[in-house]
Amino acid sequence: MTHETSLPAGSLIAGLRSTFHQPHGPLTRQLQLAPAGFGLGHVPADSKPDATTAMVCGYCSTGCALEIHLKEGQAVGLTPAQSYPVNRGMACPKGWEALAVLNAPDRATAPLLRSERGKLQPVTWDTALSTFAARFKDIQQRHGPESVAWLGTGQMPTEELALLGAVAKFGMGIVHGDGNTRQCMASAVVAYKQSFGFDAPPYTYQDLEESDVLVLVGANLCIAHPILWDRVMRNPHRPAVVVVDPRRTETAMYATQHVALRPKTDLELFYGVAHILIDGGWIDRDYVDAHTAGFEEFAAHVREYAPARVAEVTGIPCEDIYRLARTIHEGRRVSFWWTMGVNQSYQGVRTAQSLMNLALMTGSIGRPGTGANSITGQCNAMGSRLFSNTTNLLGGRDFGNATHRDEVARILGIDPARIPKRDSWSYPEILEGILAGKIRGLWVVGTNPAHSWINQNQLRDIFSRLEFLVVQDMYDTTETAQLADLVLPAAGWGEKDGSFINSERRIGLIKKVARAPGQALADFAIFRLIADYWGCGEMLQAWNSPEAFFQTLKQLSQGQPCDFSGIRDYRMIDEEGGIQWPFPVDRPPQGTHRRLFEDGRFYHSDGRARFLFESPRSMPEPPGEKFPFLLLTGRGSAAQWHTQTRTGKSAVLRKLYPAGAYVEVHPADARELGIQPQERILVESQRGSVRARAFVTPLVQRGTVFMPMHYETVNQLTHASFDRYSKQPSYKACAVRLSREA
Amino acid sequence: MTATGALAAEPRAAGDDTAIEPVLVERSLAQQQTLTAVEQFAALHDSPLRPANASRYAALLPARSPADGEQYAFEVDLDRCSGCKSCVTACHSLNGLAPGETWRDVGLLHGGTDELPVLQHVTAACHHCLEPACLSACPVKAYEKDPRTGIVKHLDDQCIGCQYCIFACPYDVPKYNRQLGIVRKCDMCSTRLAAGEPPACVQACPTAAIRITLVRRQEIIEGCETGVFLPGAPDSGLTLPTTHYKTRRAFPRNLLPADYHSIKPERAHWPLVLMLVLTQLAVGAFAVGFVLDRFAGNPLAVDAARVHAVSSLAFGALALAVSVLHLGRPLYAFRAVLGLRTSWLSREILAFSLFAPLAAAYAAALWLAPTQTASGTTVHDVLGATVVASGLCGVIFSIKVYQCTGRSFWNGVSTSLKFLLTTLLLGIATVLLTSAVTSASSPPSLPHAQTPHDFILLYGLIAASAVKLLTELAFFLHLGDRRNNPAKRSALLMAGPLRSITRSRFALGVVGGLWAPAYLLLSGPSAAAGDAGYRVVAAAVAFVALVLGELLERYLFFAAVVPPKMPGRFAA
Repeated sequence: MTHETSLPAGSLIAGLRSTFHQPHGPLTRQLQLAPAGFGLGHVPADSKPDATTAMVCGYCSTGCALEIHLKEGQAVGLTPAQSYPVNRGMACPKGWEALAVLNAPDRATAPLLRSERGKLQPVTWDTALSTFAARFKDIQQRHGPESVAWLGTGQMPTEELALLGAVAKFGMGIVHGDGNTRQCMASAVVAYKQSFGFDAPPYTYQDLEESDVLVLVGANLCIAHPILWDRVMRNPHRPAVVVVDPRRTETAMYATQHVALRPKTDLELFYGVAHILIDGGWIDRDYVDAHTAGFEEFAAHVREYAPARVAEVTGIPCEDIYRLARTIHEGRRVSFWWTMGVNQSYQGVRTAQSLMNLALMTGSIGRPGTGANSITGQCNAMGSRLFSNTTNLLGGRDFGNATHRDEVARILGIDPARIPKRDSWSYPEILEGILAGKIRGLWVVGTNPAHSWINQNQLRDIFSRLEFLVVQDMYDTTETAQLADLVLPAAGWGEKDGSFINSERRIGLIKKVARAPGQALADFAIFRLIADYWGCGEMLQAWNSPEAFFQTLKQLSQGQPCDFSGIRDYRMIDEEGGIQWPFPVDRPPQGTHRRLFEDGRFYHSDGRARFLFESPRSMPEPPGEKFPFLLLTGRGSAAQWHTQTRTGKSAVLRKLYPAGAYVEVHPADARELGIQPQERILVESQRGSVRARAFVTPLVQRGTVFMPMHYETVNQLTHASFDRYSKQPSYKACAVRLSREA
Repeated sequence: MTATGALAAEPRAAGDDTAIEPVLVERSLAQQQTLTAVEQFAALHDSPLRPANASRYAALLPARSPADGEQYAFEVDLDRCSGCKSCVTACHSLNGLAPGETWRDVGLLHGGTDELPVLQHVTAACHHCLEPACLSACPVKAYEKDPRTGIVKHLDDQCIGCQYCIFACPYDVPKYNRQLGIVRKCDMCSTRLAAGEPPACVQACPTAAIRITLVRRQEIIEGCETGVFLPGAPDSGLTLPTTHYKTRRAFPRNLLPADYHSIKPERAHWPLVLMLVLTQLAVGAFAVGFVLDRFAGNPLAVDAARVHAVSSLAFGALALAVSVLHLGRPLYAFRAVLGLRTSWLSREILAFSLFAPLAAAYAAALWLAPTQTASGTTVHDVLGATVVASGLCGVIFSIKVYQCTGRSFWNGVSTSLKFLLTTLLLGIATVLLTSAVTSASSPPSLPHAQTPHDFILLYGLIAASAVKLLTELAFFLHLGDRRNNPAKRSALLMAGPLRSITRSRFALGVVGGLWAPAYLLLSGPSAAAGDAGYRVVAAAVAFVALVLGELLERYLFFAAVVPPKMPGRFAA
């Protein structure tokens, strides 16, 4: 026991001591951690959750689930969901920062209408919606229903984009609408439809772990799909990883064979590989006979692609082409994967099909660890492909097919006559329509063409011809919103409910875990309001929530290859950790990881897959004397997403990539032009001239340069050429020149 | 696009019974603000405290605690790091860091040949060094190295925000938080480790490239003998970092950090610029004055000595006051003496803290002394000598503060030259000015023409200025270096982004250190008493130009330094 009298002195000394030496205190407590429960381990003490719920991330098509930490119903943090079959406890930087970007100061919080002085000014929703209806109706009255079009997105849940498609086409009489998925997936869609009879990527991510040979073409998984790369790294079979890419990418670094071919020569390469496989008798004849059509014609076609000729075109030595063919032949579970390097091309469909041909001829499909597998781009590109109601009628149907129209009309309870009898124009055709004066009003939802569309200066010129441009977005600062006559403020991922479909056809949920700022509304609510103001709201009476509409989507899917009528409700999706289509009500399949075509039956009426091929085309704008370099574009880092409207809002993500545009230049080219490392240089094409910092590195081939597409100026350079079948822009090949700034 | 406000549809009037739509808007807005995820989905699982993926964690943590002579360390498998940077974001969010605050970073190495180009991402956080420079530099003992785990921990409440650890760490690890006024850094998630959970970065790495391992201290010491623990990283011999970067690859010889050619001025630290220049001015003024008094045989007049002492003191006091502004938490400045045993900053602060009251006592003594000369008594002499000694100690400790960081621009020789010559130059300039001012204000009956020691001072000033300006100029020879070493980068910074400051610095140096004293010399001993006014102006010009010139020199000292760091990203 201490003497009471000594206490004041004692506490004085203690006080003095802590004044001088203070190992704990309020600043230390700021970073205190506490066990969170819920199997999460420790989290910051001040954001300890009282509940958690998992939902799918809103960036890319991998479709990782994020465990949202909730406190009084509101998100206070997140960790990657541990048990979700896609990502199993992992996320990329974008996912980790998914909530941070919701609080950006430039969130659109009220509708904005361009005033007579040309400034965007806040107005009430009532004014905004009345104006929307009045202006578009006025245009349609003067120029016909076709004169108003929309451009949508693969970033919205299926319920919203289906509602948009239904309201626009069946309610407002709009004929033409397309989505930004045209920019990333169209070639894969058309390739699958033509070859397999339906747009059906056949794989499960589990195949990444079960292959013994992985052929990755134009796909830098490490940067574009880090969690899929995680799955490759978990593959226990010591797989051969072949990377076909003109650049030395992160993924190429880990390849057992990097085929650094000349840009846009992959079609020749794969025809050459097919030639060797056929020559060597290294094909699965039984499979070809039983399940495919057109092989003999294909074999005749590739006879001309002898290795020596292919070597000359691709710049790949014959022995490396043989090695690739042998690797495919010797593998027992060979899978082919591709992304934008294939799709974003003037011959993307045929290149994708050249890989499908390889899979078919070697019987590498329908078994674990195999497949001709397109890795999709946006979080709900797959939903958009089936339900955007643009170049497909709802549920992957055909506008031109009367039976299909009747089915849809019956399910939706509408007059079949309201369903157009033809597909929408594609994105580039809509732009041409504007140029030709056929389209006068445009409604842009959740996408940023003024940054992302190919040959940007031309796009801006085209948009300036519009009578009325409506942009519906989370942020009113996007390059496109700045051009708008009317901006509708949208709630974002995390502020609304709905479902996404990921690359492996897995339907997952997003949930409302944060309050939307100001008067921002979920796109679902906006579409319903627009229908009401337009006067076609009665059509939507039954669909008062995304989940109610999901029940209708189930019906729309029934009987289609993408049938998911066996899903009871959202709760079931949540409990199952996402559900892959097909999941029909009458025979729901078993298993968390399912692949298609296990029975060898494809979706063509004869059940056979097609070998499709064509002679390679020449590059639309090859480098020449005036513009001697070939510009490749692509992803810069895993911390950046597309036009950066969201990722640019996280202070942490911003630290993870260069702030300004840069261009990768080969050291020998830099030396020849006198370009110093780190120097600001001019990159010019026939269409534009932009400044960029030179990153002098041997990671690009001589004669080629690379610029990440996340920087606004890059698409001033790109050349508007398209795949003739898919109308997908060819972002990765245009001629430029470099010069030092005067 | 056309302006469309005129065409905006009129909202319907309130009370209009057809206006059901505004009601719908209200309903939508209300629904939007209702959060439903909890009722619909949450609590699908029980609430285990144990992390759900504990089994995966087991492989990423050592099976036992460190034994004697061991400590925890990060191990990075370069062959698995794909550069996704999830570790950075996970560290940020799982540790509840401030917006934009990051304790881990991922850099890029690239190089190789056309046939085999190489890129390698490198993730790095604190290396929990055996001899942490942050810890020994800290003046307030805000760093601890846990004797059992080896984790270098920062005590946030102890920190006064002097940021000297940031200067000292060769790996750019401690991060200053302006809002809080303190530095914070990675503590290897010691709370998590203690509970058997891996640090946030380890948990979050999709490819399991980061682990916690046990390392033997002796092995680290031996391993740092060559100085290379990763291509492009600073010399590991300085602090003995414990992180182990492992790879089976053979790196090409030309592998370089992606930010190797990037140059960016550092923060200038104005309070430190002012503090250094003004303390050196004060010390120099006292020292020059004292030496003149004591040894030149022609002591200053009492008036001059008094004015001189007071003005020198004033500059010294101003310097100390300004230096406090550099602290994030100036209220706790008094803690700065705690680190005396290891920190040159503590020693510098102590020396100047002694210098100031001693100088005040000296000045007071001058004013109170009845004698006709300033150095009339032994007390004065002893006091004066102590003032000078403590001041010079302070200046020398200032030199050590920067020299110890190992930054090439702050190397011992050039920092010593700079700081000591600044002391001398500004000391002389102050003496010249005070003597010119006091003599000009003397009664005309006592004409105070230039004294012999004025000549010594003027020649001394010119010589010292010439040496200083030439050595500073000579630094630009590094522009011709073949390698893009830190010295060349500093020279590039001064010749490039900091060009205008560099030019002004030399112009002011020439005016104040060469032109003005030359003018004074040439106006010579023959000058009549009436010229006193010109002399004051010339001395004032010399003084002001020199002070400004030295301030800019010191600005460049901070802004053009190239801190060592781990390989960084390409910066555009």
